[in-house]
Amino acid sequence: MSVLAQSVGFGLITASVLALAAVGLSLQFGVTNYINFAYGEFLTIGAYLAWTLSHSLHLNVYLSLVVATLIMGVFALLLNRLLLRPFTKKGVPLLFLLVVTFGLSLFLSNLTLAIWGPDFQSLDLPREVPHAFGPFLFTTSQLTIIGIAAVAMGALHILLTRTEIGKAMRAMSDSVDLAQISGIDTDRITSFTWLLSGCLAGLAGIVLAINITSFQPNFGGEFLFVIFAAVILGGVGSPYGAMLGALVIGLATEMSAVLINSAYKNDVAFALLILTLLLRPQGIIRMAGKAA
Amino acid sequence: MSPIVYYLTTLVVFFFIFAISTWGLNLQFGTAGILNFTYITFFAIGGYFTGVSMLGRPDALSNMRYILGLNLPFPIALLIGATAAGVLGLLVGLVALRRLRSDYLAIVTVSVGAIVYDFVNVNTGLFNGADGIAGIPYPFNDSLNLDPNTYTFFYIALTGLVTLVLGLLAFRIYNSPLGRTLRAIREDADVASAFGKDSYRFRMIAMVVGCVYAGIAGGLLVGFISALNPGGWVAGETFLLYAALLLGGRGNNWGALLGAFLVPVLFQEATRYLPQIPGHAELIPALRNMIVGGLLIAVLWFRPEGILPERKAKFPGVEYLKKRKAALEVG
Repeated sequence: MSVLAQSVGFGLITASVLALAAVGLSLQFGVTNYINFAYGEFLTIGAYLAWTLSHSLHLNVYLSLVVATLIMGVFALLLNRLLLRPFTKKGVPLLFLLVVTFGLSLFLSNLTLAIWGPDFQSLDLPREVPHAFGPFLFTTSQLTIIGIAAVAMGALHILLTRTEIGKAMRAMSDSVDLAQISGIDTDRITSFTWLLSGCLAGLAGIVLAINITSFQPNFGGEFLFVIFAAVILGGVGSPYGAMLGALVIGLATEMSAVLINSAYKNDVAFALLILTLLLRPQGIIRMAGKAA
Repeated sequence: MSPIVYYLTTLVVFFFIFAISTWGLNLQFGTAGILNFTYITFFAIGGYFTGVSMLGRPDALSNMRYILGLNLPFPIALLIGATAAGVLGLLVGLVALRRLRSDYLAIVTVSVGAIVYDFVNVNTGLFNGADGIAGIPYPFNDSLNLDPNTYTFFYIALTGLVTLVLGLLAFRIYNSPLGRTLRAIREDADVASAFGKDSYRFRMIAMVVGCVYAGIAGGLLVGFISALNPGGWVAGETFLLYAALLLGGRGNNWGALLGAFLVPVLFQEATRYLPQIPGHAELIPALRNMIVGGLLIAVLWFRPEGILPERKAKFPGVEYLKKRKAALEVG
């Protein structure tokens, strides 16, 4: 099997992880209109929660994955309720709100370090068997990651297009004022968006941890700018753009690892981010009022 | 010299270096409203370039790999360091200051920070990778030949002089037409452009000058501790400077100076000697960082203007017009 084909396979896995994370960040940005710089830490905490549940409390791996994902959703909801919403209600300028999430990222990453320590940990799925699909060869855990991402993206699509709450989210993403005067309870939608964003971040952190096999307290924070690259490439605030961005960034980084050097994987994501900002800052799928 | 005196003299040097850094950040964040989330990267670039310009050619003995190795005297090396930091600032500004919201600039700076950190670690030929550069000669000491204790006092005078010059410049910029324009752009870029101010050009000046401040501070640090490695410029250091500036008072150079004393010097040093918890060496630094992050948020909630708030601009012209109008109405 060719190395390049295998790198496409790896690209699909990275894209799956990235899609979960990027859609979560993009949805929240669309509705609240500010970037959450502590998002990388959400990924980290999700992975550590799943690790604690499965290693220390001896829960089934898949069950701990679900529980940790839900806990992260509630965690993000509470963070918004107790910290970020009071700031927005106070009418704090955007600049300060960003510094708040920036300060939060330092707080959370060190909280993770204080609780779980600096050692490498790993999340293992049982029974790793190779599966061949045409030119690709996937392990069980890699197939699980792709499966989780595919199901989550499908569910999101149904949520955004078929349900009242999903349509309200899209409406708020276009214009909060217009959404409000058409009778949408914007507070409730914002809370729901944070819940969803937290769940997606937690899930992304868990599958990222499974994919990279061993992780440390800073792994989510280090992944953050790759998520940014996917979100901006796709078009900030657009969930479908984020999926597309994730696919492009995932494939580009993994294929470059074969074509150039795996040490420069992140630099490729960075170069794509810079190129997007220079050539098309609004991203592939343009959302009004989110870029310039 | 007693250890206490030695310790205190070291703190004075650190205070000067932090003061310069906080002024530079104040020009970017406090005055111009530029959200540079990787300020410490520019500090590091300044430090590295100063260091490798002072070192001689890398040889087998030193077991280090790095670029340049020019054997230059400190002032010229510092100039190279400052220029390198300024050029990187210019490059970041070229991408991010053009017509983008402040979120995007912040995203670009975070990404640049991560990439430069990665790049320096992976490409060991640049600045000796994760081990970093070491053995940088003490500035001017090849001709002065001072013993380490006396040399510290010399270095206090040297950094003090640089701090004085950069401090005067920072105050001068703030009160100049440039500073006024930057504050106007910070408050409302559209209004400023309506008055014919090119906000991109003005913000670029603030970005580059702020990064040059960071570069000089980095160069002064390297001259003092004669080494620099990636462990010395992790993201936490940027937070420390933001906490200093916000607590002291953003937009106020006296506030920046006060913050530089309160957070990186007083708070950091007061907690440096807390007892270690056996087997958990990372716990105390982690708690310290949590406090810094918490402090950032608490200041923004309880006193967003800081201890020494920015003075509200007074416009004598407006007062005059009001008086005239009142006089006319009476008349």
